[in-house]
Amino acid sequence: MHRRGGGIAALQRQEQSQRSFVELSHALSESQVDHLHAQLTHFRTALARFAATHRHSIRRDPAFRHAFQQMCSSIGVDPLAGPRKGGWWAEMLGMADWQHELGVQIVDVCVTTRDRNGGLIDIAELIRLVTKLRGLADGAIDEDDVIRSIKTLQPLGAGYHVVDIAGRKMVRSVVKELDHDQTVILAIATQLGGRIVPDVLIERASWSHDRAAAALENMLTRDGLCWVDDQDELSGRAYWVPSAIKWDE
Amino acid sequence: MAFTTHTTPSGFLLPSIHSAPPFFSQQPNKTTLASFTDHWIKLILAYARHRRLFYLHVEDAETSGNDWDEVLKNERINRHVLPVYLEHIMGVMVEKNLAAFEPARQTRSVMLYWRLPEEWAETLHEWATSTGHLNTIMTFYDVTDPPIESPLSSIPVALLRKAIGILTKTNRAQLIAAADGEGVRFFSK
Repeated sequence: MHRRGGGIAALQRQEQSQRSFVELSHALSESQVDHLHAQLTHFRTALARFAATHRHSIRRDPAFRHAFQQMCSSIGVDPLAGPRKGGWWAEMLGMADWQHELGVQIVDVCVTTRDRNGGLIDIAELIRLVTKLRGLADGAIDEDDVIRSIKTLQPLGAGYHVVDIAGRKMVRSVVKELDHDQTVILAIATQLGGRIVPDVLIERASWSHDRAAAALENMLTRDGLCWVDDQDELSGRAYWVPSAIKWDE
Repeated sequence: MAFTTHTTPSGFLLPSIHSAPPFFSQQPNKTTLASFTDHWIKLILAYARHRRLFYLHVEDAETSGNDWDEVLKNERINRHVLPVYLEHIMGVMVEKNLAAFEPARQTRSVMLYWRLPEEWAETLHEWATSTGHLNTIMTFYDVTDPPIESPLSSIPVALLRKAIGILTKTNRAQLIAAADGEGVRFFSK
């Protein structure tokens, strides 16, 4: 069997071929990366063209914007992330900085969940939904981000506000002020998983029956902050505070 | 306690709101009512499509053992849609052209449009074309009970007549009075 050459020459030869291989592999991966870059650029251009063509709809129509964001997150593009501060969203849609963008998504979540929580959402739930909407890892947005964003929304006068109810931070997205009685009701309902009847308020808050009944009826009919169940086994008629209900999806 | 989704024995996935007791009562607040009703309409049409159901009656909410048990009732929380509310939902569906009162001139029974009559018309014409039934006279029975099951099997005659009416307008079908009832002839486009 022919032995591979020993000595200095062979060693140099081996080194030489190894170098060549390294170079070749560099060249290969470089071309792959280039190819990926080209694809990415192509994709960004397509997305940018789409955003530019539909800019008006994205900005005006919440349902369309929501669908657009879902599309972005399903293909792993965060419309708010980008090379520039303010991100791609700002670049394409002419909207302001990151804080405002987060605000947009907060509004989006608040509006789409309003029919099931009456315009009052637990801040942890809000963060969970915004994170999901953006397709980010858990913990990418924190409570401070949300609170700051909501402050930037205040000049719009849309009524977004962080309120403290029995130690839980909630975001209110309805213009109405919560009066004292409503705050008490929300706090008690939260401890009870959502269901509430006048008797509970009489017992826990020592209200008169009339006060308890009136406060609940107002929340139900006037403000849409709670729901009624006419088939309650114990009381016949029970009230449910949707923002205090735990939903599993 | 948390409200969760639930898969019925027939394999239909109920949304989590279906396990919330107030979902089964008519809400006095307008916004809440509209939102609940929208949820109900989606649910009813999706279930009708899942089970190929064409009719819904107010009585379906009052009695047990009918096709609608899985949706109009939730035995896990012992609730059923209150009949007055179901009648309201059916009224909204008719307003939105997602159902029609059938028979007409009453409000307690509807024919469901989980496909619009226009869509049924296209399905009907495609079926007639692909099975080689163009230019021949067929009875309604031939369409609703074909020997090989078709997308149109068991379609109510009232809905079939609507679909044929739509095709007639574009000269793609002709209604024919036959001795033993009614018939239809399809033409290519």
